[in-house]
Amino acid sequence: MADIHSTFQYSTPAHRSGSSLDGMWLFLATEVLFFGALFLAWTVSRHYHAAGFAEAARHTEISLGTINTVLLVTSSLAYAAGLAFIEQGDTRRLLQCLSLTGLLGIAFVCLKLLEWHDDFYEHLFPGSGFALHGPDPGGAQIFFSFYFVGTGLHILHMLAGLGLLAWVILRAWRGAFSSRSHLAVEAVGLYWSFVDVVWLVLYPLIYVVGRPG
Amino acid sequence: MMQTLRPLLLVWLALLALLGVELGGAFLRLGHLFGGLLLLPAGAMVALVGLFFMRLRHASGLSRGFALAAMFWLVVLLGLGSMDPMTRTLHPVAMTTYP
Repeated sequence: MADIHSTFQYSTPAHRSGSSLDGMWLFLATEVLFFGALFLAWTVSRHYHAAGFAEAARHTEISLGTINTVLLVTSSLAYAAGLAFIEQGDTRRLLQCLSLTGLLGIAFVCLKLLEWHDDFYEHLFPGSGFALHGPDPGGAQIFFSFYFVGTGLHILHMLAGLGLLAWVILRAWRGAFSSRSHLAVEAVGLYWSFVDVVWLVLYPLIYVVGRPG
Repeated sequence: MMQTLRPLLLVWLALLALLGVELGGAFLRLGHLFGGLLLLPAGAMVALVGLFFMRLRHASGLSRGFALAAMFWLVVLLGLGSMDPMTRTLHPVAMTTYP
């Protein structure tokens, strides 16, 4: 039976859910272009500073980046499994999956902060004390500008995702979701996987593409 | 329930395999131009996450339209934005000396 909120401007609850998910996809499309400008800056800068980018990429910690990629991909799997469980009406499994997702997300942020700490310690932050003095130190500084801006924006999105995740877990804990009503789980899942997608693009740009030189 | 979870697990394994390809490629000497090929596994990973974890396969036509529009405008942004630097020839300017 349709509740009063769904009858106000939607024909059915399914219509309301569908519209909300459409809206989420529209928001994510704007996010693609937001990060697109960053990817364009990387493309153009690498073209003009290939040597500097290659040298800088070889100073990134690919082991930490790879572990972080595994963490994020696994967190997306856990979230997708949680969504499948709530569609069967299993709130307990949903809570387990979302908690695992959150823990993996927190581990990602902690590892990234550790990596930043190492980068600062090695004087890889662009500025007067920059450590790399190879054939194109200016290009290396541009690379690390991209690195800090890209990973910084990504961490901000991760923190927003963790906040949304905490909200969904709280609602699930209170029994707000059922097999027929779990729109918030689905919408937040889209955002969480999108943050994963952004990292899947950042990972090769930072750690992989420039490294072979 | 396992029937629902199995495709998700297979996708996860495929993602890890593609990550392994990327990681291996990071230590190959491909040169400046071919280094860009290492973005191909990332593209496949993005497609897998979009289609299976974000359920784009079963999304509404409007949602799929938004996703395709995002890709289209991203290609326009990157394509037109990098057109000038990729095609411009830079001529070094001779140093001017004054008496």
